[in-house]
Amino acid sequence: MPELIIALPKGRLQDAALARLACAGVRVNGAALASRRLAIADETGRFRFIFVKPADVPVYVEHGIADCGVVGRDVLLESAADLLQPLDLKIGRCRIVVASPHPETVMNNFGMLRVATKYPRIAAEHFGARGLPIEIIELSGSVELAPVLGLSDCIVDVVETGRTLAENNLSIVEVICESTARLVVNRASYQLKAKTVADLIRALGEGVRQETFA
Amino acid sequence: MSEPLSNIPRGMRYYCGTEARLRREVEDTAMSVFDGWSYEEITTPSVDYYALFEHGMGRQQAELAFKFTDTDGRLLALRPDVTSSVARAAATLFAGRERPLRLCYAAPVFRQKGQSHAEWRRESTHIGCELIGADGIEADMEVVAIAVEVLQRLELAQHDYCITLNDVEIFNGVAERLALDDSARERMRRLVDSRDAAELQNFLAPHASTDERAGFARLIQLSGKQETLAEARRLITNPRSVAALNRLEELWRVIESLDLTDYFEIDFGDVSGLDYYTGLTFKIYLSGAGTRVGGGGRYDKLTSNFGRPEPAIGFVFDLDALTDVLARSNTSVAMREQDGTVAPLSNDDPATLFFEATAMRAKRERVLIKSGEAVQCRN
Repeated sequence: MPELIIALPKGRLQDAALARLACAGVRVNGAALASRRLAIADETGRFRFIFVKPADVPVYVEHGIADCGVVGRDVLLESAADLLQPLDLKIGRCRIVVASPHPETVMNNFGMLRVATKYPRIAAEHFGARGLPIEIIELSGSVELAPVLGLSDCIVDVVETGRTLAENNLSIVEVICESTARLVVNRASYQLKAKTVADLIRALGEGVRQETFA
Repeated sequence: MSEPLSNIPRGMRYYCGTEARLRREVEDTAMSVFDGWSYEEITTPSVDYYALFEHGMGRQQAELAFKFTDTDGRLLALRPDVTSSVARAAATLFAGRERPLRLCYAAPVFRQKGQSHAEWRRESTHIGCELIGADGIEADMEVVAIAVEVLQRLELAQHDYCITLNDVEIFNGVAERLALDDSARERMRRLVDSRDAAELQNFLAPHASTDERAGFARLIQLSGKQETLAEARRLITNPRSVAALNRLEELWRVIESLDLTDYFEIDFGDVSGLDYYTGLTFKIYLSGAGTRVGGGGRYDKLTSNFGRPEPAIGFVFDLDALTDVLARSNTSVAMREQDGTVAPLSNDDPATLFFEATAMRAKRERVLIKSGEAVQCRN
């Protein structure tokens, strides 16, 4: 029986998350990783990793199937999951922004703004706080296309370098928030496996600090 | 009709067979423990005025209730908790009774939505007890000891459960010192609740010194035994928080003397229900359940809503969450089979058949009437 089950997001964050864990002394065998299995143990057998789609990380952790997980703040905000987030891992840095081909029209629009996004909750909260009525057009990918083709006035999306935006003639209207990957922990696991979880948080936190000051 | 009648509303479920039996057994166990500590059972109305819960639980929690209107237009709710109603009874029905009052209940409560996505149920049964009109460490320890006894009687393995302790006055003392307005206080509460130390430090930047910030950020991630109290004393010095730390330490010493520390953790990050609780708070976690299965605390302000301010403390177990975990586990409570075999009775003469059956029932034996012919479903 592993002491802790950790949910990791497949894709963009996976390698950086594994590197962070390796710094904290939790290592996975390369061959096991290459095997495409969805659940593997670390070298000591104390931890088990499950690899799931990023949006599913909060789901596994909230239900206590995984004790901990690594997930971007963007995904976390959108999921509205009731989780502990004791550590900013400072990887996968990006911004959640409002972008449009015509920024000035977005800022001066007091009617009904059409917003295309993969993040309906974040978008609704952001414009809701400004008292702006919006129509949310939920898409699952290539969000940048929506305003170009006239489906929406603007988009709410995650931006790393800004290249995709530029290539589609979109510019940033405003930054909603910064996002980095967080360590998230199930509320029950945080208490029931207090020592193991605290040790992991400390070891990961040490790695983050060393890198920040390096 | 467009909706098939076979559909069950989201968050509702049946209990049958082993699970139903287990559920009954857990309820009986808890109620017998309450009885053993001289708590008297009370049954509260299932439907009550929405205003009762709004005052009793706070608006945020009460909003989760199922609401409908009475014939005179007043807003009613299917009870989302039992405590509000018990507190009203204490201040009104039982106003003349000698204190302290010891009351317990097992009753279904209804909420449209849980705190977490993992709490999918919209109907759940609260088994709980309230100690009203008693203050101080003795009263606090009494309800904590009752919670432990219930868990022990469910024959859970020692490391399978954990009760976390905190005192809301620790947070309140810090918030008061920082002179935060209501919205800033709520924002800080959320950061503490999610143990987000980094964001908390950023948030506190305009309000506190670097040392103070680092200290408080460290405090919210502290969880452990006796040593956390000592560390908290180094980090927090305002008088209101210190008084709370003193109370918590006094309680801890009693727990220690009873050799129960293995079941407890001190958790300074537990700050849910801040506008409801006024002192000690505790939460009950069970291995196998992703969310808490129970919790409680001191709520000295509640009964003043009904015109009689007095100290009170209580807690509830979520019977359904408990049953779920026990049903999946291999504990002896779950494995215990229904005892006794039964021989089916049959006789062509109903009078003879039931003479025999009632005679057996008089001796408390189990009977099973075997019908001449099982009727097939006609479809």
